[in-house]
Amino acid sequence: MSTFLQILIGGLLQGSVFAMIALGFSLVYRVTGIVNLSQGAFCVLGAMAMYLLQTVLDLPVPLALAGAALVTVGVVVLLGSFTLLPAISNLPPSSTLMLTAGLLIFFEGLVLVLWGSQPYAMPPFSGEAPVVVAGLRVPSQGLWVLGTCVVMTGVLWYLLQRTRTGRALRACAENGTAARLMGIDVPRMMLLSLAIAALIGAVTGVMIAPIASMQFDTASFYTTFGFIAVAIGGIGSFVGAVAGGLVLGVATQLAAGYLSEIFSTTLALVLLLAVLVLRPSGMFSVGRPQRTDVRVDQHAHRSLVRFDSAASVTLGLMLLALLASAPFLPLPPGMMESLSITLIVFIAVLGLDVLMGFAGQVSLGQSGFMAIGGYAAAILSATYGWSPIFSILAALLLSGICAMVLALVTMQLRGHYLALATLAFALLIDSLAIGLVDLTGGPSGFVGIPILEVGPLAFDTPQRMYYLVLAAVVLLVLLLAGGLRSGFGRALMSVRADQSASAALGMRVGHIKVTAMVLSALLGSLAGSLYAFQFQFLSPDMVSTMRSFQLIAMLVLGGEATLVGGLLGVAMLTLLPTLFQPLATYRLLAEGALLVLAFRFLPEGIYGRLVMLAGWMRPISSLPRPLATRETTETRV
Amino acid sequence: MTRTALEAINLSKHFGGVLALNDASFTVPEGSLCALIGPNGAGKSTIFNLITNFYPASSGEARLFGETLTGCPAARIAARGLVRTFQTARVFPGMTALQNVLAGARMHQHSSGLAQMLWLRGARREEQALSRRAEGLLDLVGLSAFRDAAATDLPMGAQKMLEVTRALMARPRVLLLDEPAAGLNDTETVELAALLRAVRGNGVTIMVVEHNMALVMNIADQIVVLDAGCVVADGTPVEIRGNPRVIEAYVGRDEEVASA
Ligand SMILES: Nc1ncnc2c1ncn2[C@@H]1O[C@H](COP(=O)(O)OP(=O)(O)OP(=O)(O)O)[C@@H](O)[C@H]1O
Ligand SMILES: [Mg+2]
Repeated sequence: MSTFLQILIGGLLQGSVFAMIALGFSLVYRVTGIVNLSQGAFCVLGAMAMYLLQTVLDLPVPLALAGAALVTVGVVVLLGSFTLLPAISNLPPSSTLMLTAGLLIFFEGLVLVLWGSQPYAMPPFSGEAPVVVAGLRVPSQGLWVLGTCVVMTGVLWYLLQRTRTGRALRACAENGTAARLMGIDVPRMMLLSLAIAALIGAVTGVMIAPIASMQFDTASFYTTFGFIAVAIGGIGSFVGAVAGGLVLGVATQLAAGYLSEIFSTTLALVLLLAVLVLRPSGMFSVGRPQRTDVRVDQHAHRSLVRFDSAASVTLGLMLLALLASAPFLPLPPGMMESLSITLIVFIAVLGLDVLMGFAGQVSLGQSGFMAIGGYAAAILSATYGWSPIFSILAALLLSGICAMVLALVTMQLRGHYLALATLAFALLIDSLAIGLVDLTGGPSGFVGIPILEVGPLAFDTPQRMYYLVLAAVVLLVLLLAGGLRSGFGRALMSVRADQSASAALGMRVGHIKVTAMVLSALLGSLAGSLYAFQFQFLSPDMVSTMRSFQLIAMLVLGGEATLVGGLLGVAMLTLLPTLFQPLATYRLLAEGALLVLAFRFLPEGIYGRLVMLAGWMRPISSLPRPLATRETTETRV
Repeated sequence: MTRTALEAINLSKHFGGVLALNDASFTVPEGSLCALIGPNGAGKSTIFNLITNFYPASSGEARLFGETLTGCPAARIAARGLVRTFQTARVFPGMTALQNVLAGARMHQHSSGLAQMLWLRGARREEQALSRRAEGLLDLVGLSAFRDAAATDLPMGAQKMLEVTRALMARPRVLLLDEPAAGLNDTETVELAALLRAVRGNGVTIMVVEHNMALVMNIADQIVVLDAGCVVADGTPVEIRGNPRVIEAYVGRDEEVASA
């Protein structure tokens, strides 16, 4: 019984941390309509600033806390007003979501550059000795955390319900246009909500730093769990945020206590998937009624990249000639391998382009399929001695089945919720890769993957592997081009543009979405398998959810829905770090910054921009007026 | 004896407390052009939304060629030959005008995605045939200059016209058009009228929501008048022109306001 209570207390503690992060999520979502994935980074920023002020500059706790909060809010407001705010009015919600993912990566990179990769621990506010109540031990810092959570919820409630600013904030949440007409400065209110969220994050981070060690990538952990909490509770609801946080905290602690550590994450994710499927709007939803005969996504405009087909064939052949001759060029050491990796990752990006670029389904699950493809191929070929080619095929089958199940389960979800569910899927696979040590080798990775052999051919040198991958890429691009230029591609794009209007034209939207998901998963899986054979080694962090974000960054940077554009993005993010090895610490920072900048300033991608610059796209405005008078009565339809 | 193409039987719809449609019934014979008119908020778009199952009806049902549409998924309705357009033009962003029109032919494309990926001859032939038809339609409505332009860059009137073209590409048996002439200038409206006549001449049943009375009187075989969710009149243009309830629906309220 007392163990149970002890676990329960631990769960409430953990839960109140999640609840505070969830509060930040909910506030920003209420006011801006955006799920801000960088919320977790606010905690880490706050904690790191605190460390600097308290431990290095030796300031007293209250002063250091105020300073840390100020620094965090300052940084967030500065960055937010240049990136997030303009994006909210210009970009579709899914792109803005990815932009916040870019901010998250950027902040992680920033912390990595400034504070390094080691974890930091800070002294508790009121001594190390735990408080003992009725035989139950509670770390004294835990009381601080619980107290903060209660106070914060109260203050937030008061602010929103009882003050004029609060009323203005709520007005933005309920109806942005009406609020603007009432004379409320909506962008300022949005910035304010972001500032308050940053404050919440910083205080949370400072409070938990003494009991949870902080390092640069802790940010994604907090974002993920805050996100799960808010999804369980219902995005936008404060009661839901707190309830979701507590439920999540208690559930994971109980699972950790009675089952095992690895299953606690798995359980959280299963919980999330269940909530998303059964009650997509969460326990306490704040629904807004909408007409369905007008387009849901008012920002669905996107630039249209089209190019002369003769020019593209010429360019494609030139690129192919260059790639084919690469092994004969004087390359720096390791470059051959990097080129293979670029092409392998490009295969995964191709899959993502089908799903996200063409079909418009934001997926954070691509790394999950890479993991399935990689581990299944590795386990079957190394542990069970299957021939590599059959293990790759079996991995494809497995991924296809998983994708179909995932697509069916998430069929009704759109936008944020779909992104969330696919993220949960990727994290689930991630937690299994780490947890099923006997099968996967656990965190330290899977060693001893054999050389890729197809019949008598052994791909045992970097050159041979490179040509194999190049051949695969050429084949896949040709296949995809054939489908995407025809009815299949149009069906995907129609679904991306407008699902109900597509259905009204007789398209089976569900069927199309499942197909896109499966195709994308197959490509991800193939990339994962090739990746494993390329390195002859596979570890969870090679195919972690961070990889999903990276793949999206590559795709957007290169150019969505352009098929080959992704290659430019992959090359930039894969080859540049190889060329500038000493700058490896800046890699995360650069990736985040590029993702943000690409979404903000280059929505058509590098490829799209190149196509435009080269003048292969006719400026639309120079076209003549339509509907010249013409005799239509006798024409047949 | 012509068949009944479309039939509404006591359709009603509540939105919360609002009764948007109250016991609306009418029939549209095959091959005719029926105009649905009424003041703003009368429930015209709601009728279309109920017939195409965008919203479930609170009560009543709609039938297409005698068979119920209740519970039929949107894609299935289109496959049965009922295609609609929207009041706010919903052309597909991120696609060219030609791609938009081609998207309408999805139901009639029989080669599989796999065949298209493998660049099989049959798939390419089919694709070419569809493209020719789509280009022909664009030409017919005078939009061929916009063939490769992004659909959302077209002027508003052209977007509405493009949406109609896309619907035609689906080879409908019954076509529901929600205010197709909104945003068109006078010449364009005349052309639209000619187009609708030509389409009807090909045996397609059309139901059109329209505010332009001159256009309606000119092209409609039958007019259904809706006011505050109720069908207040149903008849030929000549009958409707002299119907006191119609005049009341359009003018009556002003008199009430004036006398109040
Ligand atoms: N999804 C919805 N939720 C709530 N109310 C709705 C919804 N759709 C329509 N209504 C209401 O139903 C009534 C009829 O609307 P409808 O759009 O059918 O009118 P309409 O005749 O098409 O008008 P208009 O000429 O302005 O297009 C209106 O009062 C409208 O506000
Ligand atoms: Mg209407």
